[in-house]
Amino acid sequence: MRITLKNLKRDYGSLHAVQDVSLSIPDNTIYGIIGRSGAGKSTLVRLVSMLEKPDAGEVWYDDERVDGLEGKDLISRRRRIGMIFQNFNLFSSRDAAGNIAYPMEICGMDKEHIKARVDELLGLVGLEGRGNAPISTLSGGQKQRVAIARALACKPDILFCDEATSALDPQTTRSILALIKELQAKMNLTVVMITHQMEVVRDACERVAVLDAGRVVEEGMVSDVFANPRSEVTKDFLSNLTNVKDSIVRWSTEGGRFTLRFRGGTTDEPIISIISNEIGAVFNIRAAGVQEVGGEELGVMVTDIGPDEQHVRIALEMLKKHGVSVEGE
Amino acid sequence: MDQMIQQVLSATGQTIVMVFFSTIFSLVLGLPIGVLLHVTGKESEGGIIPSPVFNNVLSRIVNVLRSFPFIILLIVLIPLSRLIVGTSIGTKAAIVPLSIAAAPFVARIIESALKEVDPGVIQAAKAMGSTNWQLVYKVLIPEAMPSLMSGLTLTIINLIGYSAMAGTIGGGGLGDLAIRYGYQRFRPSYLVAAVIVLLVMVELIQVIGDRLVKRMMAKR
Repeated sequence: MRITLKNLKRDYGSLHAVQDVSLSIPDNTIYGIIGRSGAGKSTLVRLVSMLEKPDAGEVWYDDERVDGLEGKDLISRRRRIGMIFQNFNLFSSRDAAGNIAYPMEICGMDKEHIKARVDELLGLVGLEGRGNAPISTLSGGQKQRVAIARALACKPDILFCDEATSALDPQTTRSILALIKELQAKMNLTVVMITHQMEVVRDACERVAVLDAGRVVEEGMVSDVFANPRSEVTKDFLSNLTNVKDSIVRWSTEGGRFTLRFRGGTTDEPIISIISNEIGAVFNIRAAGVQEVGGEELGVMVTDIGPDEQHVRIALEMLKKHGVSVEGE
Repeated sequence: MDQMIQQVLSATGQTIVMVFFSTIFSLVLGLPIGVLLHVTGKESEGGIIPSPVFNNVLSRIVNVLRSFPFIILLIVLIPLSRLIVGTSIGTKAAIVPLSIAAAPFVARIIESALKEVDPGVIQAAKAMGSTNWQLVYKVLIPEAMPSLMSGLTLTIINLIGYSAMAGTIGGGGLGDLAIRYGYQRFRPSYLVAAVIVLLVMVELIQVIGDRLVKRMMAKR
């Protein structure tokens, strides 16, 4: 299912939570929407998932406009989307199986059918035989698995993940992302992932939109955005990512004025040596490594350039000519 | 002595009848009001169909009824009792003012129990395409069940206390017995016996209520 947003707007009093957001989310993909807290992500997902109506603008699922749906139409459309949350939002009055059964119960599916489907879904999310477990006895990862099974119970065409991994530790986050990727491929879902974690975008998404102060400041393939971030927010997100990522080796905590990003083909070429030889610039490399992003290799290098500003200028020009993106000018 | 036991037993029976029926009727009246108070409240507090004006008016009405002294309500409602049960005196007649006095209390108890339900859970159920009715009876009420159960315990205990005043309109019961025989006729043994039975009743209800809540929580 393709999702199209046209000039969406939503204000809360004087707060412009979402201003003029237009996005096209392609069918059968995992699409990330990243932003700091307060950037308008949560409002945006509430607008896109029909939980709230925009002040202006349109939301389309394929060729159906959904932002103005009311009453029965709204309810029946909601029944064909799935949603998972940061705090899982499971029913404590029901066990794992009861939670998964809920969306099918409200559609009036018969009991036999529900029971069979619940077992199937428990298997799908790796919780075979845990149907009778009270929710409080499950770990965070298991709770999110139950929530995923519940969200997918009625075979939706869209899955919204609202900070779905933010309450989980890194290892559990990876396993949940792997599960979402697997199910996305299996069910041809369109997955929209709202997050503030760049790791999530890197590990799971194909495309990403970066949200800041209620606007989309950057949008594109994840590999493009990582290789060539244009907005300050994106750079900020990426710099945090490079610091925590273990494939980047940092041998000096000082210096490191420039961050260079090499993508795909450029990682194989000795660009630094070429520049060094041609113009006599010196590179003092502080940290470097290779990341895999969206299935593509991305080299990251934190370096100082010398000996003087003129060499810096020429070196940067040459780097850009070779397709290397530079931060820190 | 035998006569006293007889009288205490029959007064206990009257108290049980009054409390039992007024609990049921106050629930019937208070539950919808409590649910309405909650669902028309703010969305951030878990409201489903926020309507501030309606919520405000209903809330005021409930407050006015709650601040009415019960003894006055007993007298004010005499015509209503006559209309509903055909008489304005006796145990049956006392059930009417008891139920009406407890209903706003029940409504508030139910409202506050429902407020404890995580608004995120309601949002999730809404996003899945629940109707408002389904949100109430399949999500809100089951999720709030332990708090509702402690609220019910509290209501019954309150009604036991209120029912002692029903003697004013000849409603009988343990309170009536304690006042008429124990106090006015200087028979302290009646007073002591009535108080002991009341104590046991309250304690019993509390213990049963707590057990039920505990059992519910253990399954969660």
